[in-house]
Amino acid sequence: MSNPVAIAAVSEMKPGRYPDKSGFDLYLDVVRQFLAEWSVKPSDIQGLLACPSGMAEGGSNDIFVHEQLYEELGIHPLFADTMNAGGSTYGLMVQRAALAIKQGVADSVLCLGAGKFPKVGTGGAELMARMVSHEIYEFPYGTFIPAIYAQVASRHMFEYGTTPEQFAEVAVSSREWALKNPDAVMYDSEPLTVATVRGSRPIATPFHLFDCSIPVEGGAAVLVTSELVAKRFSNQPAYLLGMGEYHSHRNIHQAPSLTNVGCRYAGQQAYQRTGLTPSDIDFAEIYDAFSVNPLVFMEDLGLCEKGKGGEFFESGASRPGGDFPVNTYGGLLSYGHTGDASGMSMIVEGARQIMGLAGERQLNKADVGIVHSYGGMMSEHSTLILGRQA
Amino acid sequence: MDENSQSSASIPAKPQPKITPWAGPLWQGCAEGKLRLPYCNQCEACFYYPRLWCPQCFNQGLSWQDVSGKGKVYSFSVIHQSPLPSYQEDLPYVLAVIELTEGPRMMTNIINCEVDAVSVDMPVEVTFEARGDMKIPQFQPTI
Repeated sequence: MSNPVAIAAVSEMKPGRYPDKSGFDLYLDVVRQFLAEWSVKPSDIQGLLACPSGMAEGGSNDIFVHEQLYEELGIHPLFADTMNAGGSTYGLMVQRAALAIKQGVADSVLCLGAGKFPKVGTGGAELMARMVSHEIYEFPYGTFIPAIYAQVASRHMFEYGTTPEQFAEVAVSSREWALKNPDAVMYDSEPLTVATVRGSRPIATPFHLFDCSIPVEGGAAVLVTSELVAKRFSNQPAYLLGMGEYHSHRNIHQAPSLTNVGCRYAGQQAYQRTGLTPSDIDFAEIYDAFSVNPLVFMEDLGLCEKGKGGEFFESGASRPGGDFPVNTYGGLLSYGHTGDASGMSMIVEGARQIMGLAGERQLNKADVGIVHSYGGMMSEHSTLILGRQA
Repeated sequence: MDENSQSSASIPAKPQPKITPWAGPLWQGCAEGKLRLPYCNQCEACFYYPRLWCPQCFNQGLSWQDVSGKGKVYSFSVIHQSPLPSYQEDLPYVLAVIELTEGPRMMTNIINCEVDAVSVDMPVEVTFEARGDMKIPQFQPTI
């Protein structure tokens, strides 16, 4: 792309339970850690995007959070907003930031997220079911987020013969990566097996407990800049080579298809804009609230044949040492799902792999990576392609 | 189903849908035991759920049509754990998306059968379940 844009710096707080902190407290922790890690000056932040962190409190007391944040920082940005697109919020933030930078509105945009996760057992799951299903035409049927995603899994099983064991393989792979990531909530745990996943508590067929991501709290910062600014932060920024987005529905029964989801169209745009093809991609970081998601998205991103996602994960290719690493930080399944901020984690990891900052889990070949996130009930999709060369 | 029963006072009633002004005929149809959907006179097709315009062509000249109430399970899940207090008694229950013969998809429960009997592509037909003073569409295996 002309006027290269890059992720110049990333920072993510360790996911965990922070019961005494509000969403905004977490935001302040994220910003403090980011400023300290990257020696950022006020003039380095010309734009600021943030997301409400109020999901756990049952509302959006944070709907103007960008104002609070730029005032706390003491900056007067040229470009700022609070936006929300669920898990795809941060992928879309990076895209909005890139457009602003290419347009010359700002040279740098700080994308921020902090998240608290509603406690599932204390009315949180009902609150979230109301948030993600149609009040009139879905919620009265006893909707529940895992059961909504399970519709995607059941349909995939019907159309392609995918098995519950193949979904479990996704969780097994993510756990292997988490065991290499000291920040992952499951870092100190045991490896998973397909039998352990299938033997865990049934939630909504075909999902058992370990097919579901782990609710935690956290947050992250991603600084998107022009190439010139990026070089001041890093000798190897993560260049944004391509991007695409697609919004197909809000409520799952309105999805045009459950097996060809918006990911496909977001991915196609990202490839078209780069001239790259799936064979150019070295690794993938894919939003995985449930085990089914990476399996379907690998197909929709053209990284394996349609219907062969199950075989791909069964082959072990996605695991450490495999031919095509997926979710190298442990995924939301084993790193942790930080609620409002969850869509940050795969962007931070994708950038770290490109920048060579991934520690023990650094891939040998990480020249080009793809980062896919979605929001809502597979409603909105963001695909980013990151690379070492502009 | 006995949602209207007052015998189990501790179990909260299942959610009752709010009736929007432009969806009246749908709920009136349910009360009469008919699945009545909005119909676009320009596209000559039904859609679901009721809207102020046709989501295919934006035409606002809409009418209503009684449809067959027959279709197939497009996808489903057997829920073993639900956050909804009013659904605890039903566990395990089936949450499904069905596709009507006429095309539109609807969210529903699959009722009046064992949960293990439900499969994708299974033929289903509409039935109606009382919720307070109204009825909502539900689906059951085609008899």
